[in-house]
Amino acid sequence: MKNEAIDSYILIAPLLLLLVVFILYPVIANVYLSFFKWKGMGRATFTGFDNYRTMMKDETFWVSIKNTLVLLLYIPMGVILPILISAFLREGLKGWPIFRAIIYLPNILGYVIIGMISSIVFRKLGPLNGGLTALGLGSITRDWLNKPDLALNALGLVYGVWMRLGFGCIFFLAAMSSIDESLYDAAKIDGALWWRTFWNVTIPSIHFSIEFWIVLSFIEILARAFPFIYTFTRGGPGFATFTLEYGIYNAGFVAFNMGYASTWASVLFVVCGIIAFFQVKLMRKNTDVQ
Amino acid sequence: MSNSYNRAVKGIMYFILVIFAIIALYPLIFVLITSLKSPSEYVNNKLHFPEKITFANYYYVWVKGNMLKYFINSCILIPCGLVAYLFVCVSAGFAFGRLRFPFRFSIFLTVLFLMIFPQMLLSIQIFQICRTLHLVNNYFGLILVWVAYFAPFGTYIMTTYYATVPMEILESARLDGTNIWQILFYIMVPIAKPMIVIIVIIGFQSMWNELPFSLLLLQTEKLRTITQGIGMMQGQYGLDDTILTAAIVSAAFVPLLLFMFFQREITMGSYGGAVKG
Repeated sequence: MKNEAIDSYILIAPLLLLLVVFILYPVIANVYLSFFKWKGMGRATFTGFDNYRTMMKDETFWVSIKNTLVLLLYIPMGVILPILISAFLREGLKGWPIFRAIIYLPNILGYVIIGMISSIVFRKLGPLNGGLTALGLGSITRDWLNKPDLALNALGLVYGVWMRLGFGCIFFLAAMSSIDESLYDAAKIDGALWWRTFWNVTIPSIHFSIEFWIVLSFIEILARAFPFIYTFTRGGPGFATFTLEYGIYNAGFVAFNMGYASTWASVLFVVCGIIAFFQVKLMRKNTDVQ
Repeated sequence: MSNSYNRAVKGIMYFILVIFAIIALYPLIFVLITSLKSPSEYVNNKLHFPEKITFANYYYVWVKGNMLKYFINSCILIPCGLVAYLFVCVSAGFAFGRLRFPFRFSIFLTVLFLMIFPQMLLSIQIFQICRTLHLVNNYFGLILVWVAYFAPFGTYIMTTYYATVPMEILESARLDGTNIWQILFYIMVPIAKPMIVIIVIIGFQSMWNELPFSLLLLQTEKLRTITQGIGMMQGQYGLDDTILTAAIVSAAFVPLLLFMFFQREITMGSYGGAVKG
């Protein structure tokens, strides 16, 4: 049996090696670097908590935090819509697999392509305003991406809700497929209305998947939004669609202030650590690996 | 009441589904038809089909622009990345799922824990590491970083799969005196084929659509990947939207083709590891 242990360590060695070098070390070294002033070249000078003090007085930082919170407010919508739509899809209406495929389509294309498409759609002279005008709603056309509030909410709606809808449907459909059909039959005999059945049978049966989805939503918004924001608004107008992630990019690779960028990254690290804790807890429940 | 009630409910459902299908599909159709218009036609005709179809935008991005180069780059980079990714995920998934060794579960949880950190958080240090190891502007470096970042999820999926494989298969192989690599390649890989297809697709999508790391590590124009190439076109002044849309379609057609052929695997993979109830 000793062999089995040695074999196992050999098998997991490539993964662990890569993780230590490219993920674990960066995460730790990042916190260390946040106490230095460093331009990416030459010597780094230790400055104690200076970076953190600067950050506390940095307006961009607080705007980024506020923006992140606004984006998180889109989570309820991003949870409810896919559940509702999957509940419709699972009724087995004619042609439902086609609807499922179409709604899933944007997910295939990835953040960069969707970000670019969205930025064209929301342009002042783009199809959204064109369509509104054509429908006689010219009065509600806006320069969506040049007004801070509109740009941020467009980001929340497109990234937080629209883009992940198809994935959500697949996810919740899978969860619903494991619900015992007899529960629905019993509800039908009781003459329960659709809404009632949805609320009393479907929702409680998939509560674990809902929890999981909420955690995934937090991760998407806090830790995966950079490529989308980069192509959608470039953080603009001004810094109206900055998030912590985008701020790291801006401080580190636009202003070349690596030490300061690490300070933002350390804040993000703490936030992600908390979420990772919940995620691991849920994944652990889900696997039989124990 | 029940009959008319049911019909009303179904009607409402159809209506809502149709609306969401349109919202999902329309932007993609818009991009496709725009890419077939000339810039001057697009100014006056935003929404309708082109009166005169032109392929000038495609000619511009593929021939005059660097799209062909980017495309070839992606086609070299991604298969190499996938081979490494597959090797790492399958061997680690097999060990975590089926073998018994000290600290197995704590190591596995650590791997899951490391999955969450955003690319930008890691990017500053990754850039320094790659600079020290001379891996900037080097495909080998990008492949290592990609595999490190994407393998934990693939490993998780493979682990949940191998955990369901009956113990006897492994034990009988052991009795025959085979070594661990033989067991891996002759037994564990073949039985996991459906799952391997799924993680290859997931890995392909992750790598094809990846931006931050390529942005960071491939700084020479001639090395860029296709996603990076189009991502950097965005915001270039004087580039017509018609040309941008042609670039978008050019980058999107591969994932779309993949979706047409592997819809089942892609949808299965997207809730990878099948969440229970």
